[in-house]
Amino acid sequence: MKAVRIFRDRALLIGVVIISCLVLVAVFAGPLSTYPDHVTGFDPNHRLTQPGWQFLLGTDRMGADIYSRLLFGARLTILISVIATATAVIIGVPIGLVAGYFDGWASEALMRISDIFLAVPQIVLAIAIAQTLGPSIQNVILALSATYWPFWARLVYAETRSQRNEIYVEAAKAMGASPLRIMALHILPNISGSIIVRTTIGMGATILAAASLGFLGLGAPPPAPEWGRMIAESREFLPKAWWYATAPGIAILMVVMGFNLMGDGLRDVLDPRLRRGGSDGK
Amino acid sequence: MTKFVPLSINRRTALMGLSAAGLIGMNGEALAARRKFVTANNNPYDILDPHQLFDIGRIAVRLNMYDALTRWVDNPPKLQMWLVEKADISPDGKVYTFTLKPNVKFHDGTVMTSADVVYSMERILALKKGAYGLFKDVVEPGTTKALDPRTVQFTLKAPFAVFMAVLSELWVVNSALVKKNEKNGDWGADWLSKNEAGSGGYALRRYDPAVGFQAARFEGHFAGWGKNPIDDAEFRVVMETATRVLGVMKGEFNTTDGYLPAEQMARMKENPNIKTWEAESIRTFYFIINHWKAPLNDVNMRKALCYAFDYDGFNDKILSGTVVRNNGIIPNPMWGAPKGLKGYTYDLDKAKYHLAQVKNVRPLQIGAMAGYPQSEQAAQMLQAGCAKIGLEVKIVTEPYTTIAPKLNDRERAHDLIPLWRSAYFADPHNWTGFLFNTKNFDAGNASYYSNPRVDELCDQALIVTDQEKRRVMYEEVSQILVEDAAGIFINNTKFHGAFTKNTKSIRFCPIGDAQDVRWIEMEG
Repeated sequence: MKAVRIFRDRALLIGVVIISCLVLVAVFAGPLSTYPDHVTGFDPNHRLTQPGWQFLLGTDRMGADIYSRLLFGARLTILISVIATATAVIIGVPIGLVAGYFDGWASEALMRISDIFLAVPQIVLAIAIAQTLGPSIQNVILALSATYWPFWARLVYAETRSQRNEIYVEAAKAMGASPLRIMALHILPNISGSIIVRTTIGMGATILAAASLGFLGLGAPPPAPEWGRMIAESREFLPKAWWYATAPGIAILMVVMGFNLMGDGLRDVLDPRLRRGGSDGK
Repeated sequence: MTKFVPLSINRRTALMGLSAAGLIGMNGEALAARRKFVTANNNPYDILDPHQLFDIGRIAVRLNMYDALTRWVDNPPKLQMWLVEKADISPDGKVYTFTLKPNVKFHDGTVMTSADVVYSMERILALKKGAYGLFKDVVEPGTTKALDPRTVQFTLKAPFAVFMAVLSELWVVNSALVKKNEKNGDWGADWLSKNEAGSGGYALRRYDPAVGFQAARFEGHFAGWGKNPIDDAEFRVVMETATRVLGVMKGEFNTTDGYLPAEQMARMKENPNIKTWEAESIRTFYFIINHWKAPLNDVNMRKALCYAFDYDGFNDKILSGTVVRNNGIIPNPMWGAPKGLKGYTYDLDKAKYHLAQVKNVRPLQIGAMAGYPQSEQAAQMLQAGCAKIGLEVKIVTEPYTTIAPKLNDRERAHDLIPLWRSAYFADPHNWTGFLFNTKNFDAGNASYYSNPRVDELCDQALIVTDQEKRRVMYEEVSQILVEDAAGIFINNTKFHGAFTKNTKSIRFCPIGDAQDVRWIEMEG
C-alpha cells in the first residue's frame, strides 16, 4: 500500500529522486568525476576557467575542477548531516520519551534544559561551539548534534504526553509491562511517523547549517570540497567567476529541497489525518 | 548594522572640536561641503590603543590620530623629523636628546611636553605589547628623562643604529588624560582601547569595533594643512572583498586595501570613476617555520619544505603575477637584500632527497589566516607539494586575531604560518634582526630560529651607523637565512591602490599603505 502511495505523491517522488541522486553521486563520486585528484590537487595553469568541455562546471581559485569537487563534496554533506542528525535523534528521542512518560522534577528539568537550547537560535549556538573547538569536520558534527537534539526531545515529549493515556498504554500497564517496555515497544512505534518526518526535514536543515558553518570558515579546512566553503571562497571573485558560487549553490538548494519535499511527502503518507484531499485513504 | 555609539565627549571638548573645525557659525551649505574620505578596511579595528597595536591592518588608528617623533613618507620611504625640531646624538651613539617642536597640541588643547614622550615610552615598556620588541633591548624603564618641557633624553643600553627609524612607532599619548583614566595600574589600557588621546591630524569622533571609526580633521595640528585636505576621515570595516570593490565603484568608499585579487583590480581599472595606482611595496610574503618543534629544527626538513613549494605556480598563476618573486626575507627594493641571492626552486627530487634524511617525520600543521585568501592558497600550494613527496600536511584556518597571540608562544604556535612581513620602518632590521635574532624569542622572533652568526651580525649591524658596512652584514644574514631555510620566502608584494576619481593626489608610503589621510588631496 505504502509503496504505491509514494508514487502517487508527487512531492515525495521528487524528493526521493533527488536524495537518491545525492546518494548515488556520493557513492560513485570516483568514477563519475573527471578529475578525481582535484579533491586535494589542482592545476594553477587553469585557474578560474569558465565551464566548458574540459571543466564541466569551471575551475576554482586554485585551478581545481569544480564538478569533481562537487561530487566528492556530496560525501562530506551526507557524512555530516547523517551523523549529526542521527546523534541528535539518539539523544533527543529517549529524553523526550522519558520526560513525556513520567511526571516529576526530572521530567521538568529535562524539558527546561531543552527549552534553554531552543531559546537560542541553533545556528548561533553552533557557531559558538564550532568557533570554540576550532574548525574541523568532527567539530561541525559535534556542534550540530549538540544543538539539534532539543527539537526531537520537544516533539517526542509532546507526542508521548498525548499517547500515555491511550487505552493501549493502559492495557499494557494492566498487564504489568514495565515503563521501559511500554515506552520502547508501545509508544515509540506509534509516534515513529512524526519522528521520521522530523528527521527527514531535519536532514535538510542540518545540511544548510553545515554549509553555513563552512561558509563562515568554521567547517572543514581547505582543501576539503565542502560546499559552503566553496561558496565562501568564490566571493572574492564575484561577479567575474559566476560559476564558482553557482554550482555549489544549486547543489545545496537541490539537496535541501529534496529532503524537505521528502519530509513533507512522508508526513502525508505516514499521517492519515493530514493526507491531502483527492489522494487515497478517504 | 550596529549603530555608532557616540563617545562620551563633554560639552566643552565638543565645542572646541567644532570651533577647531571651523564649523560654528557656518550654515548647512558649508557643512555639506566638507570633504569626506571613506576607506573600506578588511580588518576590524578591535582596539584603538596605539601601544597595543603593531600591524598594518590597523595602522590607520596610529597614523591618523597620533604623532610620533619621526615619520615615514614617500616611496622609497624617507624618514622625516616629525614632532622633533632638533636631534642630538652623543658620539658613542647611546644618548639621544630631542627638542620638541613648540606648541604641539593634543586634541583636548593640552600642549604636548617631553613628559608625554617619557610617559609613552614607559607605557610601551610596561604593557609589553605592540612595538615593545623594537625597544625592549635598548631602552630600560626609567631611563628616559624630561630635561625640560621641550627636551627629552633617551639613554640607550647600547648603540642602536635604527633608533631614529623605530621612533616612528613611539606614538605620543596625552599623559594627563590617560593617567586620569588609569584603573588599577593598567596604564589606561582599558580606556585607551576604546578612546583616543592623541595629537594627530584627525580627532576621534565615533568608534564601534564592528563598524570602524570616524575622525574629524584637527585644525590645530602643529604641522598645518595643505590644499584641499580631507575634513572627515572614516575607516569602515568591510570584510567582504566584493562589497569593498563594489563600494569603491559606486563611490560609497573612496578607497580600499591595496592588495586585491587581479580579477577585482581589472574590474576597477575598467571603471571610469576610479583611478588606480601601482607601486612596488616592501612587504614580503613567507611561511614562518616554527623551529622550536621537531623535526622542524632539522635543516633537511626545512629544505624539503622549501623545495616542495611551487613558487612560480603561486606567484605567476594563482596570484596572476601581481607580486614579484623574492628569494630572501628582505624585500628586493630594500638595501641589504643581496643582489643575485639564490633562492629555492620548486624541485620535488631535491625535496625528497632532503626529506629522506629526516628522522621522526610527523604530519605538519599549517595555520592559515582565515579571511586572507592568499594565506589559504599558499597553504594549499604547500600541502599539495608535500603530498607529492609523501609528507602529510594538515591545514587549519584561524582568524588573524587568534593566530597573532600564538606567534609569541612557542608551544601553541602552528608549525607553519603563511603571512606577510610588512614594513614598520624602512631598515633591513625590520625583516632580519627583529624576526630572527635569538633575543627576540617571544617578542618578534616567531620562528624561534637561532643562529649565533645571525645574532652576532644583527647585533653588530645595530651598533655600526655606516650604512655601507651595515649593508654587507645584512646581506650575509639574508644569505644565511636562505641556507638555513629559516622560512619559506615567497614574494614581495606590489601595492595596487584604487581611488575614486575625486581623489586628486595621494602620497604612497609602504609604511602605512597610503592610509595616512593627511597627505590625500581631494576635490571639493
